[in-house]
Amino acid sequence: MQGNKTMRTAVLVLALLAFQAFQGRAEAGQIPPAVNACLTCHAQLPDARLSAPAAAFAGQDVHRNAGFRCADCHGGDVTAVDKTRAHDPARGFKGVPKGEAQIAACAKCHSDAEFMRRFSPRQRVDQAAEYVTSVHGKRLATGDTRVATCASCHGAHGIRLVNDAKAPVYPTNVAATCAACHADAAHMSGYTLPDKSPLPTNQFALYQQSVHYAAMTKGNDLSAPTCNDCHGNHGAAPPGAGSAVNVCATCHAIFGQKFATSVHAQIFDRGCVECHSNHAVLKPSDELLGTDPARSLCATCHSGAGDKGAAAAAQILGDFTRLTSGLERSAATVARLKNAGMEMNAQDLALATARTRLTLARTEMHTFEPAGVTAVVNEGLATVAAVDRAAEQTSAELRFRRRGLAVSLGAILLVVVGLGLKIRQIDRRSARR
Amino acid sequence: MISRVVDWLDERVDLSGVKHFIAEKGVPVHTQEVWYYLGGLTLFLFVVQVFTGILLLLYYRPSASEAYESVQFIVTTVPFGWLIRNIHSWSANLLVAAAFAHFFSVFFLKAYRKPRELTWVSGVLLLFLMFGFGFSGYLLPWNELSFFATKVGTGIAGSVPFVGKFVMRLLRGGDDVTGATLSRFFGFHVAVLPAITTALVAVHLLLVQRQGMSVPLPVEQQLKPGERVRTMPFFPNYILRDVLAWYISLAVLAALALFDPWELGKKADPFAAVPAGIRPEWYFLATFHTLKLLPSHVFGMEGEHLGVMGFGLVVVFLVLVPFLDRRASAGRRSPLFTALAILGLVYLVVFTILGHYAG
Repeated sequence: MQGNKTMRTAVLVLALLAFQAFQGRAEAGQIPPAVNACLTCHAQLPDARLSAPAAAFAGQDVHRNAGFRCADCHGGDVTAVDKTRAHDPARGFKGVPKGEAQIAACAKCHSDAEFMRRFSPRQRVDQAAEYVTSVHGKRLATGDTRVATCASCHGAHGIRLVNDAKAPVYPTNVAATCAACHADAAHMSGYTLPDKSPLPTNQFALYQQSVHYAAMTKGNDLSAPTCNDCHGNHGAAPPGAGSAVNVCATCHAIFGQKFATSVHAQIFDRGCVECHSNHAVLKPSDELLGTDPARSLCATCHSGAGDKGAAAAAQILGDFTRLTSGLERSAATVARLKNAGMEMNAQDLALATARTRLTLARTEMHTFEPAGVTAVVNEGLATVAAVDRAAEQTSAELRFRRRGLAVSLGAILLVVVGLGLKIRQIDRRSARR
Repeated sequence: MISRVVDWLDERVDLSGVKHFIAEKGVPVHTQEVWYYLGGLTLFLFVVQVFTGILLLLYYRPSASEAYESVQFIVTTVPFGWLIRNIHSWSANLLVAAAFAHFFSVFFLKAYRKPRELTWVSGVLLLFLMFGFGFSGYLLPWNELSFFATKVGTGIAGSVPFVGKFVMRLLRGGDDVTGATLSRFFGFHVAVLPAITTALVAVHLLLVQRQGMSVPLPVEQQLKPGERVRTMPFFPNYILRDVLAWYISLAVLAALALFDPWELGKKADPFAAVPAGIRPEWYFLATFHTLKLLPSHVFGMEGEHLGVMGFGLVVVFLVLVPFLDRRASAGRRSPLFTALAILGLVYLVVFTILGHYAG
């Protein structure tokens, strides 16, 4: 029995030495890993729950690359080659840190500015402090261990930097990472909204319909918002109805400013969300305005002949329609003239300016003051009118060119016929001679 | 009126020699005579180029900051500027097409045979000068397509073994295509090339007038001993036919200028990404596509270097054709050179089409 143990110990020591030698070659250019017997043993364990973390840590892991070892989080003796010594609580072995212990294990380094500066001088160190303010952190403090902790989002082993495209917290992966819990009806059962209704689990499905998701996944725009951009990440919490405008205005600043001056800012409980929704933010259209109950959002509240809001909505929609139809008509004329070979670069530029006016008018619309919108729209219409005048002149020039060509070709044809007759006459005269 | 002017001149400079030449000069009449008009047509289009080019010079400004705007000004604001610019662009293309047709007609008819070797050599050199005009003129509007096409084109020139880098820097006026390149190309286009071309055209025409039109071998061989080929008077019978062809080409030019105007495109931006569909003018497409198809390395040499050397050899061969085709010079048929001409024509047509659709 004793012999078997000695033999096993010898094999482990040899395996450890071989592993270290292999590691030394494979990790050239990285911080040489210190002795880490945990990996040697755990890599050989038949139970995947125990071997998989070792394999993940032995692969691409930001901590391992920086020279950290298993014991830095789990405690124990990394140099020991037998489990008893390695897992000895007297040597600091803590096992798998869970719940608040996990937050503490991560915060031990990540909340230590002086320590973190050695690895990443610009790294934030307030994650743990923020986490305490999050819904996750608050519920964890009440003993709810189903909430997300550090490893739920970042992983426990095989952790990658945030800017690594394979990291679960990389912008394109964040929504799926959050959805792992928030789209799981069983996991989310029992959680409720402030009004005590069950917390929905369709946010990810709704977000996938949104312009934000399209910008992120189809437009490859990593700055497009995903879950953490509105809810925060470590301090994750719903923005709250009152602060929704501020959240949207982080990116849509001008819209936020215009809306803040509007009468709706005092009326709308959920700010921007009232019209644009939150997770399923669809591409808005001018038809959301106006008084048509079938299409208009305004008509949800405003209707009737004496309703000032309905009148304002109708006027704003009318202004937009005048400018968009004018732009479409002018653009078609300019395209036709360009196809005919006329130089229309200046008119193209003017139309771009008019389109900018339309965008500005759509921004101005968030004040819900028709007079301001009309002023901007009129500027755009003036530009469109100038383009139309130039296009009319160009059309006249094109007609002149075509008439000129017809006359020229007629004259050339006459000369050609005349020459042909003259040649025939001369040839006959030459033949007679 | 004309005769009074001629008489007035005759009294002062004695035009009897010229009068005699005009009265005596005849042009052979046979079934292949239609090809004779291609030379006159090419010359006419060259004159159109000179005339419209001088008019464009009145407004064109050859600098990177002003070239595009000046062309834009010409086509939008200058009265009939659009017409002059479009005719200049279209005429350039028709000129190259006419020069190609003239070249192949002379090749197939073996008109280069003794004693017209020098006429052929000057003609081949003129054809390459027309390519030079096309290449240098393409950059002058300083638009996106011409800018990047010139980068590619001068880059290919840089592949010439031994002297490539020097030639590339000479063309570009530096390591890259910049405003300095535009100034140089403008200089080549309006001064260097016209000077050489004028001298060569003079030599070419002088030789043609001195030696007369070549009679194709089959026509010559059908003549009985002592029989001479039938001729028509050069003036006015032939010259009027020439003028007729010029008028028709003028009508084609005017119609093309109006119904398919030459696009100005976007202004060149040296810092912009290379736009899709960059390719040279149609007459360089076959060469360009061939170089694209060559593998990166052939027999241990860079494919592009080998291709450029190959084209160099073709140019040398073309210049030396009259001296290599001894059978034609001896008045005998030379099917080998006819086959080579057919091969060259088929290659140019096929590779131009392939290059056009390759994108």
